[in-house]
Amino acid sequence: MALLVPEPAQWLARYGDELYRYALSRVASAEEAQELVQDTLCSALDALASFRGEASERTWLFVILRRKVVDFYRRQARSPFVPLPVLPEQDPEAEFFQPATGHWQPGQGPADWAAPSDEDALEQQEFQAVLRSCQQRLSPQHGAVFVLRFAEELSAEEICAALQLTAANYWVIVHRLKLHLRRCLEKNWFGSTLRS
Amino acid sequence: MRTFISDCQRATLLIERRADQQLPLAERMQLWAHLRLCAYCRRYAVQSPALARAARLAAQAPSTAQLPPDFAAQLQRRLDEPG
Repeated sequence: MALLVPEPAQWLARYGDELYRYALSRVASAEEAQELVQDTLCSALDALASFRGEASERTWLFVILRRKVVDFYRRQARSPFVPLPVLPEQDPEAEFFQPATGHWQPGQGPADWAAPSDEDALEQQEFQAVLRSCQQRLSPQHGAVFVLRFAEELSAEEICAALQLTAANYWVIVHRLKLHLRRCLEKNWFGSTLRS
Repeated sequence: MRTFISDCQRATLLIERRADQQLPLAERMQLWAHLRLCAYCRRYAVQSPALARAARLAAQAPSTAQLPPDFAAQLQRRLDEPG
């Protein structure tokens, strides 16, 4: 079987929009997504010699783009604007749980999502739009962990390595971002029908 | 006094860890005991993986976005003349 020869001049026409949509679903702004596509294509050009034609060109470009997404969040996690990782002993969940007992704070316990919104609701476009807007309200660090874990589905180990987190910090962050996200969703999605 | 059996903070943290790795037996039993008693955390245990699935779906949601033409044209020039 003939190996595929990469054709850089065709990349944009063939995969440009698809790469862009993927990037857009993983970063907050169009500018950032464009930059990721540009970095991906430039890296691919530089690495043309290493393309062996075993995987499809498309697969190869997406592998590079995924790596760029991880790099993007790695840089973001190191930026001085991102607060330092929370330490487990600082008990950052105090707004959700009573520090003395670990019980849910009054009013913070999970609401029953079942009522109007069964599993199907999670697939609705409007729900996903609300989820995206809640996601964008997460802190940069929580947002980074969210994308890498729940969109890219990297393992805990891979995320800790990329973002330089200890395992303990990582679990505290996952826990806390889930708490924030569910509160945002209950307020903006489930809440409108639940507590009326 | 804070004991595990009533500690929702710890139980929900274990629920998150459980999605990624098998918990040690002692923690599995503690979590099981807690979930028998705590309706809120039972809800959390159901909703948390649902939220992860929703996040995955949202990331894969079909989109009609297209690269802005100016930007694409500029990139195309670079791809046409490598090196």
